[in-house]
Amino acid sequence: MVRAIGGVGVTIARHAGGMGLLASRTMAALFTGQVSLREFLYQLYAMGVQSLPLVLVTAILSGVVTSQQGGYQFTGSIPLYVLGSVVTSSVVLELGPVLTAVVVIGRVGARITAELGTMQVSEQIDALYSLGRDPVKVLAAPRILAGMPAMVLLVGIANLVGVLAGMMAARLTVGLGHATFLYGARLFWHSYDFFYSEMKAWCFGFIIPLISVHMGLLTRGGAEGVGRSTTGSVVFMIIAVLVADALFPPLFLN
Amino acid sequence: MIEYHQVYKTFDVPVLAGVSFRVESGETLAVVGPSGTGKSVLLKTTIGLIVPDRGDVIIDGQSVFSATPDELQAIRRKAGYVFQNAALFDSMNVFENVAYGLPENATKTLGRREVVRRVVRALEDVNLDPAIVLNKLPAELSGGMRKRVGLARAIVGEPQILLYDEPVTGLDPVNAAAVDRLICDIADRTHVTSIVVTHDIEGGLSISDRVALLEGGKLRFLGTPDEFRRSKDPLVRAFADRKAAVEAAMAGSARAGRLAEDKSAALP
Repeated sequence: MVRAIGGVGVTIARHAGGMGLLASRTMAALFTGQVSLREFLYQLYAMGVQSLPLVLVTAILSGVVTSQQGGYQFTGSIPLYVLGSVVTSSVVLELGPVLTAVVVIGRVGARITAELGTMQVSEQIDALYSLGRDPVKVLAAPRILAGMPAMVLLVGIANLVGVLAGMMAARLTVGLGHATFLYGARLFWHSYDFFYSEMKAWCFGFIIPLISVHMGLLTRGGAEGVGRSTTGSVVFMIIAVLVADALFPPLFLN
Repeated sequence: MIEYHQVYKTFDVPVLAGVSFRVESGETLAVVGPSGTGKSVLLKTTIGLIVPDRGDVIIDGQSVFSATPDELQAIRRKAGYVFQNAALFDSMNVFENVAYGLPENATKTLGRREVVRRVVRALEDVNLDPAIVLNKLPAELSGGMRKRVGLARAIVGEPQILLYDEPVTGLDPVNAAAVDRLICDIADRTHVTSIVVTHDIEGGLSISDRVALLEGGKLRFLGTPDEFRRSKDPLVRAFADRKAAVEAAMAGSARAGRLAEDKSAALP
């Protein structure tokens, strides 16, 4: 039992150390101007623009479902304009950032781990070293640095689209007019909520590529190893995002 | 000159157990031995791709494992490494892969025209037609062509050292002979120091100045190809004389007995 707990502790410490080192080397590459702008922009496109359709679908559905469920619960008990506030707060504070993060984990995080894992097992990472290149500067830094602005943009769009979808769903399901919905939304709105949401996006945009790159570079053992590290990476990213999400309210809302 | 000093490496089991020898400048050394005996690991320690548990590698007087990151990069730039499966970058075409063998920012320092000229020359040196392969992706190339592109990437930066990890494994005899010929031509033309890890004994003996045999993580034999062929060491004999090794391995098997009977029956 003690040995098992110790083993888990050692594993966590090893991953934390590895990711800390990766993050510090990424920042060093950024501040010494050794990150390729072309590669950064490509990763920004791959993470941001290419994830947008799925993020939009998720945002629309989350806004619609929140609106429908709130409408069902509030009808006959609470003034319906409150629905505007509930949908807006739910989407902006929680659903927008977390569901976008889950989409990006599945679409981008898994891809990065599989891509770098395949490069690792096919000796392409060794080839980079042998050619005098640092894989952290060439591969890791553009991905990690692109994750943050990509998530900030995606979450901003997801929040807007989710609230608009919720507003339309409220009109169609409980007959709540747009003006009344917006009145409710404004009544309890704090501008800080927007920054809170984008802080989450920034944090998740750092965590997701950091873990996916770290796990990709740790891959060993052929195709099976790539599969194993991709699965492990997705689980690791989801847990890390949910833990970070749970830490946000006590740290930034109270 | 490359010097290995008491190099030890253990993964789950000991792979290298105190390997020491020296490769002279301009020399071609073939490293042979049974599978899993640490040949590729030894090659990777040469430029610090694998860090040994103990020991050191000295290249032209510079320790690989005491080097600062910048010094290590400089050491690696002196060397070209030809990987077993070529290790070409999947997302880049042949031109980009080979150009990657040039120093960083080569386009800025040398100019685009010079980069193209060097890439084309490297491809011609490995007997590939640039007009045909330049824009192809690695997935569109045959195994032999991939190996040659990997070789072109290794030589385009005009290294002083070339490290080959099983350069002919997986190739048919004609392509294998062509790659062996390329290794000889490059060594003759550029006087580069070469280490060739190979399972192809005949090829290894024909291209090398000296041969090293690793067994159980230790250096079992080091000498010229002639000394290798004349050695009385049973393991060296087994490697030097493949026909005898096959016959020894097949001795006593029912199939070998049947084949021997068929042969004697066919004799007049």
